[in-house]
Amino acid sequence: MSFDPAILARIQFAFTVSFHIIFPTISIGLAAFLAIMEGLWLKTRDPLYMQIYRFWLGIFAMGFGVGVVTGIVLSFEFGLAFAKFGQMAGPAIGPMIGLEVLTSFFLEAGFLGIMLFGFNRVGPKLHFLATCMVALGTLLSASWILSANSWMQTPDGVVVEHGRVVVTDWLKVIVNPSWPYRLPHMLIAAYITGSFLVAGVGAWYLLRGEHQAFGRRTVSIGLTFATMLIGCQVFVGDMLYGKMLEHQPAKMQAAEGFWEKQSQSPAPYYWFIVPDQQNQRNRFALGTPYLGSIWLTHSLKGRVEGLKNTPRDRQPVMGWVFYGFRTMYGLAIIMFGLCIASLWLRWQGRLFTTRWFLRSLVVMTPSGVIATLGGWYLAETGRQPWVIYNVLRTADAVSPVPAGVLLSTLIAFVCIYALFMTAFLIFTFRMIRRGPQAAPSEPVATGSLKHALKPAVMNDPAGRNPAPVE
Amino acid sequence: MNLPLLSALFTAFALSLYVLLDGFDLGVGALLLAQSDERLRDRMVDSIMPTWDGNETWLIMAGVALLAAFPIAYGVLLPAFYIPLIVMLLALGLRGVSFEFRYQVEQGRRFWDAAFGVGSIVAALMQGLIVGGLIQGVAVDGERFSGSVFDVFQPFPALTAITLLAGYVLLGAGWLHLKATAPLREFAQRCLRLAAPAFVCLAVATCVTAAWVQPGIRAAWAAHTIALTVICVLFAGTTAALLRAIGGRVDGRPFFLALALFVLGVAGLGFGIFPDIVPFRLTLWAAASSTLSHVFLLVGALIVTPVVLAYSAFAYRTFRGKTPEAGWEA
Repeated sequence: MSFDPAILARIQFAFTVSFHIIFPTISIGLAAFLAIMEGLWLKTRDPLYMQIYRFWLGIFAMGFGVGVVTGIVLSFEFGLAFAKFGQMAGPAIGPMIGLEVLTSFFLEAGFLGIMLFGFNRVGPKLHFLATCMVALGTLLSASWILSANSWMQTPDGVVVEHGRVVVTDWLKVIVNPSWPYRLPHMLIAAYITGSFLVAGVGAWYLLRGEHQAFGRRTVSIGLTFATMLIGCQVFVGDMLYGKMLEHQPAKMQAAEGFWEKQSQSPAPYYWFIVPDQQNQRNRFALGTPYLGSIWLTHSLKGRVEGLKNTPRDRQPVMGWVFYGFRTMYGLAIIMFGLCIASLWLRWQGRLFTTRWFLRSLVVMTPSGVIATLGGWYLAETGRQPWVIYNVLRTADAVSPVPAGVLLSTLIAFVCIYALFMTAFLIFTFRMIRRGPQAAPSEPVATGSLKHALKPAVMNDPAGRNPAPVE
Repeated sequence: MNLPLLSALFTAFALSLYVLLDGFDLGVGALLLAQSDERLRDRMVDSIMPTWDGNETWLIMAGVALLAAFPIAYGVLLPAFYIPLIVMLLALGLRGVSFEFRYQVEQGRRFWDAAFGVGSIVAALMQGLIVGGLIQGVAVDGERFSGSVFDVFQPFPALTAITLLAGYVLLGAGWLHLKATAPLREFAQRCLRLAAPAFVCLAVATCVTAAWVQPGIRAAWAAHTIALTVICVLFAGTTAALLRAIGGRVDGRPFFLALALFVLGVAGLGFGIFPDIVPFRLTLWAAASSTLSHVFLLVGALIVTPVVLAYSAFAYRTFRGKTPEAGWEA
């Protein structure tokens, strides 16, 4: 059996980066949420806010840990499996990632310790500052990474000399054409992810009739943020769509599922297709008539451009791009619907008692993560066959590493990451099941955060630590 | 101005800081396997818990600085050390999540402690393997790695791997000696008594073998005889002081003397391979990126590094002194 090293290198990168992005998305969202909760606690001194803070801090810490260790891998993978990419693009993306490490990794790392273990070592205001610094760190990190990735999507500010990128204008490299749209899109996605996470867990408590005060407060806060953010996201997403249509038409052609240079009129909006890349057609397609024309051309009978407008050797694989987009877009529509419903139910005073709604929130708890992954699949598979759009092909960037070695390390990554994910999910579920009272409501010396992280000790009657009273 | 040289200095600075800081973290991790008392293991982990994340960040900094300033070397070295690097990254990952996950369990904490210890040891060994592979030499054809990814698995890199592990254990034991109260401090003393002579003997063996396997090292001896002799003398003196300081009244002395040994080791390595970035194959000027890339990285580093060092120091200060026996929040 023989494998193509280029395919294996791509699968390995796709797997590790997909796994990684789950955790920063959660961290960016939760860090902002935690900063707001601690700020509200400082202002109102309502112990409920501190309880919310303590509860979500435990989950944040675990997610952050997994995000850090899987992120380290990525900064080396540019060279491990894609040496030519590192050699060519290093002068442009290297300094940006370097600045990311300097401005955000160290900020997070320096203040995370104080955030997690410093309650009794620093005052509440300084502790709040530490939380804000960690949240700022996640934001800066996203900003640099989106800059580097957007440069790969829409490279600017460089010339290519002897197979190497030479930067001519840093401002154009950092503020490349797609970055101003992709950064807010990703940040809002992360904040929406955090909002649905928080609201989903709160709704689960309300359904079970437990921790009512905690559940009501978090459902209310989560939905408030989600509603405000989803409105912005529709707006930003639409602008980004237009921008990508301009810079990477092939991506958007693949994303809508049409092959012919001009689609039929009126164009349907496809929800499900079985694409046949070989013969440049769909074996099967299911869509809503007229909707494609209306949404994509803003007219009743407009035609949509298909993938045949792009030469075959420059086409992305339609299936990945289409389903990445549909996953993100479909979930966004459901989220939008739920937010509208929440406004109505809130006005009716039934937000915390309508069971179908709370159940939907529970189901939608991980929706932000899945939608974000879908969006990244659209962005990254839609850029193919290029690793740097119109500059370097992915297949030409691969390192001289034998396929067998790549396959072995891929299997190792899958095994170890599966262990990480299993442990993360088990511990998160366990924390949620134990409930927020396992986290102490006041930052006092007897009820430490770390003891909150050791609930088994507190449940042990002979344990060293007295259970905190709620 | 010689920008590639400045970038190389910054990369070397980040890498040295990584070795010094994560060195004791990894050493403490390795020593977890030697400690059977779970409560003492809790305190060992507590001692490095608040700062490990920042320590490990210097590794990313060094890697990314290499990508930014010396992309050609990055593209040669990373495929050359593909296997040890991936194994190291997985080991560091296992160790990193063990920090968080071990607190989640009471019954299975042994499992995560074992994962923590094994992860630390494997990461240290892989780093040593890479250092050895660098000194032994990497096959380069133009700007491309032309050897086999298995080239690094040779006797000399294996020796450097064990040497580095012994050095990290020495640093870790020194750190525990500084941070721990009895009875963990006694444990640290016993470890120091074993690790210090072991590391020094292995380090001497590594230096001698290096000159034997790599003509470039012999050339470096000829070129920098005085500097390298001074380093050797200082190394011997520091070793003597370290052996005397174990169990002495000043808890921090063994740790700082062990750090000094590492600084001398790094300096010696620097004299040995300068001005190459892929030792004995590519100079740092031949592998460098264009001017503006250096400018951007260096200006950023110049402004931000002092701030990073300041609040890293603040974090260390916040958690200074002996690690509380019942955890940081007690």
